[in-house]
Amino acid sequence: MATLLAVASVAAAAEPAVSGGDTMHRPFAANRDFWPLLIASIASLLAVLAVAYREYTPEWHHDQQAFRRDLLTRGAYAAAALVPNEVEQIWLPALDRVDRCISCHVNYDGSISTLSDLPALYQPHPDLPYMAKHPFPTFGCTACHGGQGYATDEAGAHGLVAHWDDPLLTTALAAQYGLTRAQLMEIKCNTCHRPDDTTPGMDLINMAKEIVAKKRCASCHGIEGGGGLGASDLTYDGDNNPELLDFSAVEGPKTALNWQIQHFASPQKIIKRSGMPNYRLNEEQAKALALLMLSWRRISFPPQYVPAARKRPAVVQPVVREVPAAPPATSPLAVQGRYVFENRGCNSCHRVGGGPLIGPDLAGVTQRRDDRWLATWLKDPAQVVAKDEKLQVWTHEYGDIIMPDQNLSDDDIKALIAYMKEFPA
Amino acid sequence: MSNSLRRLWRWVTWTWNPASEREASTAIVENLWLHWFPAKVDEKSFGWRYSLWLGAVSAFLFLILVVTGVLLMFFYVPSTERAYWSIKDIDYVVGFGWLLRNQHRWAAHLMVLVVFLHMLRVFFAGAYRAPRAANWLVGLALLLLTLLLSFTGYLLPWDQLAFWAVTVGTNIAKEVPFVGDGLRFVLLGGTEIGQSALVRFYVLHVVVLPVAVSVLFAYHMWRVRRDGGLAVTDPAAAPLPEPSPTAPVQGKTYSLFGVTPGTSLETRAARPQADDAAVASSPHLLRRLILVFLAVFTLTIILSLISGAPLEEAANPSVTPNPAKAPWYFLWLQELLAVTTIRLGGWTISGGFVGGILIPGVLLLAAAVWPFLDRSPLQTVGVWFPRERRLQNSVFALIALAIAILVLIGVLMRGPYWQLYWPWQAWPQLPSRL
Repeated sequence: MATLLAVASVAAAAEPAVSGGDTMHRPFAANRDFWPLLIASIASLLAVLAVAYREYTPEWHHDQQAFRRDLLTRGAYAAAALVPNEVEQIWLPALDRVDRCISCHVNYDGSISTLSDLPALYQPHPDLPYMAKHPFPTFGCTACHGGQGYATDEAGAHGLVAHWDDPLLTTALAAQYGLTRAQLMEIKCNTCHRPDDTTPGMDLINMAKEIVAKKRCASCHGIEGGGGLGASDLTYDGDNNPELLDFSAVEGPKTALNWQIQHFASPQKIIKRSGMPNYRLNEEQAKALALLMLSWRRISFPPQYVPAARKRPAVVQPVVREVPAAPPATSPLAVQGRYVFENRGCNSCHRVGGGPLIGPDLAGVTQRRDDRWLATWLKDPAQVVAKDEKLQVWTHEYGDIIMPDQNLSDDDIKALIAYMKEFPA
Repeated sequence: MSNSLRRLWRWVTWTWNPASEREASTAIVENLWLHWFPAKVDEKSFGWRYSLWLGAVSAFLFLILVVTGVLLMFFYVPSTERAYWSIKDIDYVVGFGWLLRNQHRWAAHLMVLVVFLHMLRVFFAGAYRAPRAANWLVGLALLLLTLLLSFTGYLLPWDQLAFWAVTVGTNIAKEVPFVGDGLRFVLLGGTEIGQSALVRFYVLHVVVLPVAVSVLFAYHMWRVRRDGGLAVTDPAAAPLPEPSPTAPVQGKTYSLFGVTPGTSLETRAARPQADDAAVASSPHLLRRLILVFLAVFTLTIILSLISGAPLEEAANPSVTPNPAKAPWYFLWLQELLAVTTIRLGGWTISGGFVGGILIPGVLLLAAAVWPFLDRSPLQTVGVWFPRERRLQNSVFALIALAIAILVLIGVLMRGPYWQLYWPWQAWPQLPSRL
């Protein structure tokens, strides 16, 4: 329509409207608007042509053409005839997704050609062990890979544009965190596989889930409706606005994933006086937990997408309390002990005088137990409890929460005991 | 063969060229779309320099908005679940969808700007004096409707930009004394921006406001004719040439039907205009209107090719973008609001009332009553920046300039946490997920 309009106006302008002085009573500078009209007509025609050019030469069209040509030069005529000439999409109403990735990645399922040396863009998806359970028509592409399924140009589809917070999980992106692409993609797997205890192929997240159970994160943190009220609710931690995180002590990229990794590695370094114990996690464990946190998002799936039922975590009695400051120390060794006490978050669970919190009141603990017993206890609380029936009964009074193993050094332990000695019952 | 080719060529290159004055007049009068123009127009109304054709430009922008808007309505779904994704579809897979949306967006921005400039032009030329004061008021109403149209359209994409701009906008509306909360409630269909707000904004945007603009626009055009055309053609502004003794000027009246006798609707020009200065609307006025339309049409297309309408993340009430800005034409209000908000220790005195309601309200009221207070000589009507009106024109220009500067500060210089940044200064990088 616009084209017609432009053509018609060019034609109209082409014949100068010589509004005849003979017929018209008073000619109004008949040719005055001739050149502006001609220029405006040509400009509008060019603009309309530019619009048409942009509309009819999309990237996917070029990619499909190139594939067809490539196949023809290889003599694969039957395959070339199968290459589409339109926007292709996998529509997943159940997941509220449309994945148009396959407009360019046309041979994603190998249905066009199974030649082995095709360019990367046209290679079929590798036949990985879990592909049978995750067929394309049910899962599409972006559910696992990230990216913007709605888009039909490369930058937009790969989500490498502003205002799309679910980018394609690429090897380069994973490398920023010292991860492989498969490891980074575990975030995506776990949006559905969250209820699993372990899932084949999700090594890091499996490790993270084990840590969450072992370290009893739920004694302080709320998780899925259970757990404690002593620390933040982690149920949808992955949805938290990254702008609300404090990045002042974080090195490297300002991203939620990076913040999580460094926070798990050393909570007090990222949040000063954090009540969270420093579990001395190694780098891999910190990354695993960070991936787990990012995967905990408020994304709902229809029942057929959720894996089989799972064990609920043990219900932990929620505890509400404020983290009390540790009382001051006098001797140099005890001052060091106080530092360990606060820095490792002992004061999140223990008070020194003033009654029990999550754990017992520690005033007079050195009178109740000798130094050797305390040192063994601090080294590995779980093992001590396992061997001591009396302790098991006692732990029950504290909601079955066993003190986390803080990986304390011998010096730390010595200092802690010296600090405790300053507070008799 | 050659004969039919020649006939085809003549058919394609056919040009309207009336053979007589009567034919020219009839072409206007007997055409439903053209009859609102007078059969003859004073040559002075054609000048680029006097009117800048801003009224015609805004009317054509409205036309483009209606056409692209109706086409967009075929694809847009006004629900909180689908709205954002239907816009993604329009951008990516609807044939020429990107053009429709970009053109609609650009035409909307331009219309706000051009209607405002049109108002400035009318003021600077003193063209709002009686009998045109009524039309000035209609024009003010059209300006407000244009702003409302743009504002209601702002919410429809249901992205972060939309959601938070409307949050800021409706929170300003809340500051109206006594009725503010009720006003916001009625506008949003609740206390929060959700599905009911989206439907209300949609219905306002596609039915109520466009119809209101169309009705007022028709009245605006009719008033222009009734009040004697553009002010520049007033004899007071442009003295007539001495009538030649052989052809005395008739005390004739122009009626709505131009060539037909009768006095159905008389114009109220100060003096009847001379035939000497008038030319046939067809083809002269029409040709220029086509030219203006083509220019506007081409401009919106070129802008659409250069820069697309933005679409941010899907609306998320729990994540506030930083900074959260009102639509650009309300940014001067947000700026005033931020400046008039006073923090004393732990106490905050909101500038919402002063910046958001009082100042724009007073300005609007002043603009509405000014035609009735203006005492400058009538000879200045239809003249740009006459010496006699220098003071009021300067004050008006200063207010317009202040608004423009505040808008520019808001658009270009307000970064995260509402801090000031120079336009060439990079904003601090805000954290992301991955």
